Amino acid sequence: MVDTTKNTLMYTTWGTKTAKPVNPNVAAKLISKAKKPLLVAGAEIVDNEQLAQRAIAIGKKGVQIAATGHAITVFHGKGVNAKYINIHALAHYLGDKNWKGLDGQGSYDMIVFLGHKKYYLDQVLSGFKNFSDLKTIAIERHFMQNATLSFGNLRPDVHIEALDEFIENL
Amino acid sequence: MSKISTGHFSIEDLENVQITIGKIVGAIEEKVAEEIDMGPTPKPSVSALRDWDHQLLTRYQPVYTPQCDQCCYCTFGKCDLGGNKEGACGINLAAHQSREFLLRVITGAAAHSGHGRHLLHYLIERHGRDHPLDVGPSNLLAPNVQMVTGIKPKTLGDLEAAIEYVEEQLTQLLATVHMGQEGAAIDFESKAMHGGMLDHVGMEISDLAQMSCMGMPKSDPEAPLAEIGMGCIDATKPMLLVIGHNVAGVANMIDYMHENDLSDKIELGGLCCTAIDMIRYQMDKGGQPYAKVVGTLAKELKMIRSGIPDVIVVDEQCVRADVLDEAKRLSIPVITCNEKIMYGLRNRSKDKADNIIEDLVSGKEAGALILDLDLLGEVAPRLVMKVAPLRKEKGIKALPSDEELTALAGKCVHCGACELVCPNNLPIMDAMKACVEGDLTKFESLHDHCVACGRCDQACPKDIPVLDVIEKASQKAISQEKGLIRSGRGQISDPEIRQEGVNLVMGTTPGIIALVGCSNYPEGTKDLYKLAEEMLKRNYIMLTSGCSAMDLGMYKDEDGKTLYERYPAKFLGGNLINVGSCVSNSHITGTAIKVAAIFAQRNITGNYEEIADYIMNRIGAVGVAWGAYSQKAGSIATGCNRLGIPVVVGPHGSKYRRALIGKPYEEEHWKLYDARNGEDLPIPASPEFLLTTVETVEELMPMLAKNCIRPSDNNMGRMIKLTHYIELSQKYLGQMPDDWHRFVRTETDLPLAKREELLKILEKDHGWEIDWKRKKILSGPRMKSDVSAQPTNLKRLCKGEC
Ligand code: SF4
Ligand code: SF4
Ligand code: SF4
Repeated sequence: MVDTTKNTLMYTTWGTKTAKPVNPNVAAKLISKAKKPLLVAGAEIVDNEQLAQRAIAIGKKGVQIAATGHAITVFHGKGVNAKYINIHALAHYLGDKNWKGLDGQGSYDMIVFLGHKKYYLDQVLSGFKNFSDLKTIAIERHFMQNATLSFGNLRPDVHIEALDEFIENL
Repeated sequence: MSKISTGHFSIEDLENVQITIGKIVGAIEEKVAEEIDMGPTPKPSVSALRDWDHQLLTRYQPVYTPQCDQCCYCTFGKCDLGGNKEGACGINLAAHQSREFLLRVITGAAAHSGHGRHLLHYLIERHGRDHPLDVGPSNLLAPNVQMVTGIKPKTLGDLEAAIEYVEEQLTQLLATVHMGQEGAAIDFESKAMHGGMLDHVGMEISDLAQMSCMGMPKSDPEAPLAEIGMGCIDATKPMLLVIGHNVAGVANMIDYMHENDLSDKIELGGLCCTAIDMIRYQMDKGGQPYAKVVGTLAKELKMIRSGIPDVIVVDEQCVRADVLDEAKRLSIPVITCNEKIMYGLRNRSKDKADNIIEDLVSGKEAGALILDLDLLGEVAPRLVMKVAPLRKEKGIKALPSDEELTALAGKCVHCGACELVCPNNLPIMDAMKACVEGDLTKFESLHDHCVACGRCDQACPKDIPVLDVIEKASQKAISQEKGLIRSGRGQISDPEIRQEGVNLVMGTTPGIIALVGCSNYPEGTKDLYKLAEEMLKRNYIMLTSGCSAMDLGMYKDEDGKTLYERYPAKFLGGNLINVGSCVSNSHITGTAIKVAAIFAQRNITGNYEEIADYIMNRIGAVGVAWGAYSQKAGSIATGCNRLGIPVVVGPHGSKYRRALIGKPYEEEHWKLYDARNGEDLPIPASPEFLLTTVETVEELMPMLAKNCIRPSDNNMGRMIKLTHYIELSQKYLGQMPDDWHRFVRTETDLPLAKREELLKILEKDHGWEIDWKRKKILSGPRMKSDVSAQPTNLKRLCKGEC
């Protein structure tokens, strides 16, 4: 079992409320329990075969995917339910109770993030943290302090191991 | 009546009496003429355009992404506003974020207009108030100034009243940042828009003044090419490095060098907009700039640490705060010449040149403050001629040697501290490992992504000078950094607008993409080139300025040609125009205003709202500040936004704290009035945003094409724009866009080559009714195609309303 809760070092603080460190199996259980989870996959997966495979595997478990940046190019023809959307627009719509979701079937109750630039995602998450009730889980290589739950800072190989454990438990 | 409209007459025995009747009569005539065409809002106050702003903000809602959940503005605090709580003064986090945004905007606007005020003061002293404005073959000299203030400046002196207005309004805006007071985020947003608008007036004043007095190219598509890049610096010559944004000082150095036969003896290089403007200086009558552009702020620390500069002169704005400390370590004297940066140095403005030079050459003092720019013009070149041989003699060593490089990399314990603090979280540890094994390629690729902030140096527990390691390891790559940049050509002229305006409004030129702003890119400099090349090939007009204009010149095609050599600089589709420095960004908004004035014959004088309404609904222009970091980029973008021009920033731009994004799924926000009858006019959801971030350049390209769509497009125009949107989406996202059908009004909007295929999709996936015999759409579109419709947000402009 990979412990993804050890290194939660931050470079700067946003405020007093900070993400709880989470282990892969716990994160996976929470997502499995959610009514309508969404994986937001960012463009960092495009040139990272290892990450791309894991993102596809999460999609194969039935989690809907919002592909931001040009991450959608990874999902074509892979038999997953993925749609392109700009991450800033997505953040805006997710905060809107009237938004019908990417599939027109209603919004989401648990948002998972993978494949994003640390500084960018933490900004997006600070919007959610302060202006919405959404639960967010970052399964990134870096500790995302503005998420509700986050992996700590991990070495790339440990991160992949953690993702595999996460997928197994979905 | 005398032909002399102003002048001094001395009458015998009454020598001290000045008769300026001509001026009075002229002024009265002008005043009457001005009053006739004065619009409703000359010199608008903070609230005068509030209704317009609120209208914009209803469709484009603020999305806040705080950089900090707390507020420390006053001693009631520090207050934790997390979760949108209220602080002790009653302000909540949303309102505080908009206040923070406002503060960034007015900081940027103050930087430009402070620069403008300095230049104006200096140039009036040299050339007099009556010096005419000369910006090229245009009658509309100052579109921003005229639209906002109602003033039609003809001379340097006329600009004073406009800058006074900007200064007064900026003071009013700064006052609103005080604790308590405003509680509504939307009104802080409106104030931010006001600040952005003022910024474009301030920038325009700066550039008009310098263009008119300093011989800069005037709407000249043949403006010369200059060398750019760290690799083009000749390190064998004494090197004078200038950094900043204000060209007044370096202009005097260039003159002195010219007069004293030093031009080919000294290597003059510049960073940031001072560099851009020094290659414009005295270039309006042909000639070739010999000064070289080193690059953007991202090259500043690298250039200093290379040890090549022998003297550094800094002026204002985007200049590192530690230039003096860094330079001192390498025995490089630093001269500051502007009140914005004085680095604690002794003021030598009234000293003799010889004395100052002696103190700096001997090392008695590390630098000097010289506010007298004539004195500066003499001291800097003379100093560099004296310091250079001494530095050479001393053998000043800057970067580590090859052996030291391997040893330094070997010291790394792979703790990751540097990667955590690096703004781009660059893979430094991997590069260190490879370096020990003699592989420098990882550092070379890291070098282009590194913005030379130096935070890694500060974090390393092993005291490894990480940035020096990066720079040393990348020497080969740096020596190949050689390109060409076209010197900034200033405004788009009236005749050019006359020629191209119709294509822009009808959409047959698919749009204007303005690549502006700083160098804090998410994935290095090449993205910008990739973007520009793609859009130029597709016949978009590319306008550029400042640091973006520099980085575009850094890459070459297989034939060794830069974009500036491949694409001409006329105001036509498929042309690449460098307007100039940071303050030249006002010519980009100025272009849109000119289209309204010249092509559409709208009265722009003191008529902001109507002109913004025109621009928003008819001109497909999008700004891109891909590497925006400075407050100025924020204020420039906000000034565009108030005019209805959308702006995209790169991922780092999320740290501006707020975006303005619309919801295409809320149909009630996507309609206007038809000014012919006041009826509702549904419009496409474009632009979808006024300010947003985009993750990658691949995502950006289709997004730009889409957001150039405007209600006024004719069928040919819409077809061209849709073609690019669909093709770019297929090329970079590998798919048809999900929403292309929303922009279709009639079958003639559809790309010709794909018409049948698309009609099938419309029928099958969207339930539209198609008459297959005539290949016509019978029902489905939300909008009608009607080129004579008059889209407007303003009810008052509709027939029968006033
Ligand atoms: S300005 Fe208001 S929120 Fe900020 S520290 Fe003062 S009381 Fe607190
Ligand atoms: S100097 Fe370069 S590598 Fe170092 S922290 Fe800054 S951007 Fe990162
Ligand atoms: S901080 Fe220093 S020791 Fe740690 S990984 Fe970076 S270079 Fe190596």
